Amino acid sequence: MSNELFDPATFRTALREWLDENDLTPPPGDQSLDAHQAQHLRVLKALYDADWMRYGWPESAGGLGGPDILRAIVGEEVVGRGLDHPGPYSMLDVLTPTMIDYARPELAAEMVPRLLSGQETWCQGFSEPGSGSDLASLTTRAVQDGDHWVVNGQKVWTSFAQYATRCVLLTRTGGPEVPNHQAITAFFVDLDSPGVTVRPLRTMHDVDEFCEVYFDDVVVPADRMLGRVGDGWKLAMDLLPYERSTCFWQRIAYLYARFDALVDEVKGQGAASDSELGEVYLALHTLRCRSRATQHRLAAGHKLGAETSIDKVLLAGAEQQLFDTVRDLLPGRIELTDDPWRTEFLYSRAATIYGGTAEVQRNIIARRLLDLGKE
Amino acid sequence: METLDAESLAMLEDTLRKTMLSKSGAELDAALAELGWAEMLSEMPDTAIPLVFRLLGETGSHASILNDVLLETIGGLPGGTPPMPYAGGGWVVWERTANAEPTLGGLPLRRVPEGETMRLGDTRRAAGWWLVGTARAMLNLARQHALDRVQFGRPIAQFQAIRHRLAETLVAIEGAEATLGLPGDESPDLTAMLAKAAAGKAALTAAKHCQQVLGGIGFTAEHELHVHVKRALVLDGLLGSSKELTRRAGAGLRARGSVPRLAYL
Repeated sequence: MSNELFDPATFRTALREWLDENDLTPPPGDQSLDAHQAQHLRVLKALYDADWMRYGWPESAGGLGGPDILRAIVGEEVVGRGLDHPGPYSMLDVLTPTMIDYARPELAAEMVPRLLSGQETWCQGFSEPGSGSDLASLTTRAVQDGDHWVVNGQKVWTSFAQYATRCVLLTRTGGPEVPNHQAITAFFVDLDSPGVTVRPLRTMHDVDEFCEVYFDDVVVPADRMLGRVGDGWKLAMDLLPYERSTCFWQRIAYLYARFDALVDEVKGQGAASDSELGEVYLALHTLRCRSRATQHRLAAGHKLGAETSIDKVLLAGAEQQLFDTVRDLLPGRIELTDDPWRTEFLYSRAATIYGGTAEVQRNIIARRLLDLGKE
Repeated sequence: METLDAESLAMLEDTLRKTMLSKSGAELDAALAELGWAEMLSEMPDTAIPLVFRLLGETGSHASILNDVLLETIGGLPGGTPPMPYAGGGWVVWERTANAEPTLGGLPLRRVPEGETMRLGDTRRAAGWWLVGTARAMLNLARQHALDRVQFGRPIAQFQAIRHRLAETLVAIEGAEATLGLPGDESPDLTAMLAKAAAGKAALTAAKHCQQVLGGIGFTAEHELHVHVKRALVLDGLLGSSKELTRRAGAGLRARGSVPRLAYL
């Protein structure tokens, strides 16, 4: 049974049939973040219980095996059908591989099923008030004290920390003499530890998913270290290929679903909107083709690297173009009507900032892909 | 000849590149015929079309072989020059020998009063590969210039404004190549139309940024850039411009009321 499902086309067909028979549509009405979170956990539980959420993950971490591409297909169906939002869903694709690659095998085996089955939510404690684009300058410190470490510092832009039970946290363990890229160490921290304070930020789109997380003398057992001392930067870099493959694929599915909704709303407007619709389509199609090629390279065992900055530039551009076009073709809608288009338009402003700014991506492309030397 | 191993493919690419660098126009047509272009096109189009047309772009050479791709599709007689649509609702033929028409950049195109609507998928895909080859040629020229040209005491490649223009160009090219590489099993015509639109847009983006990075020298006929800029403009218009094809794709969405996904894992 399982081996048949390892074929992507067969898997997709079977998953679609299952989703058609098992209605997981969010209950209407409540658009609060709490409601989104409840729906997120509900969908994960149902998909995990029916095994879909376990494909594409290794058996050592409670999965059923099969290629990574199966995860991208689950993400595409879940997010493309509007069963879950791309933000919460994306945390799975980013944090699970990190745990599998860096946590002690027993820890990964214990924890990963809790995330995939919706028993728990985790967050990613990377950015700090003083360390955004220059992540390697982070200053949250971890100091060893016997068989544990003591953490002090502050994280920011930590998505969904208010719902999270654990955090994959980057800390500085090296002194000033250690180069940045060897001075960082990652931990898997329980957020109910004494000394952790989570404070959601108010955002311009009124969805308070980003948090500040404060660590005051937080004690973390040494066996919660991910990798070894100094592996933290490598962990952060290794996470990018996952963020930019399976994770992008489901975000693209979300953008197509929203574009479907736009086309449906404006199809009566006549030929005046054709060019703008076409431009959005071209941008989304280009992104989707590029991302498809990236998934296939990952599946073929290639190590993804700087070239995924191209995927990121295409994604951010297509997302903003889509929602700019929504505002152009539905005049007044975003300003005068309080509906999801407004929230989504506003959120799309962040697309060229989060996950590495548009400028940082272009710097990487210039340096690493075009070999233009240092600035 | 149906499949080639990597080594044979590299040798073929090398031979084609050398040939294109030394010959153009009718002479290149003759040389390509000798290299087995007709067999390549009929027996391994999925390899031959991307390779040969990308190299035409990269080398800045030209041949009349888009005709052959179209004739292959419509089952026309070898050697023919079927009218092809051009931007603005016009028609052109790509003549097999040099003509006196003042087509920008010297391609032997000639306006004709009318033509027949036909399936253009493969021909658009071929023109798309040509356009991305042209775009890569421009990017290479601008990149080298940025590394060599010193102003304010340093290579201009060190300035972020220059770097970002070149990065933007690479993004457009890589994106267009991805659309060209998509197997169009489900909707071959729409897939090819979008790929041609993406390729045309990438070439125009490259022309704009690379011309700017090259500054004054890129405006002279002594520098190679102008050949590629002109090629990009002419090939973008051939078989429908990026703008037109994009608008047509938009009209298709409106008629259908939803968005075809086209690419699947």
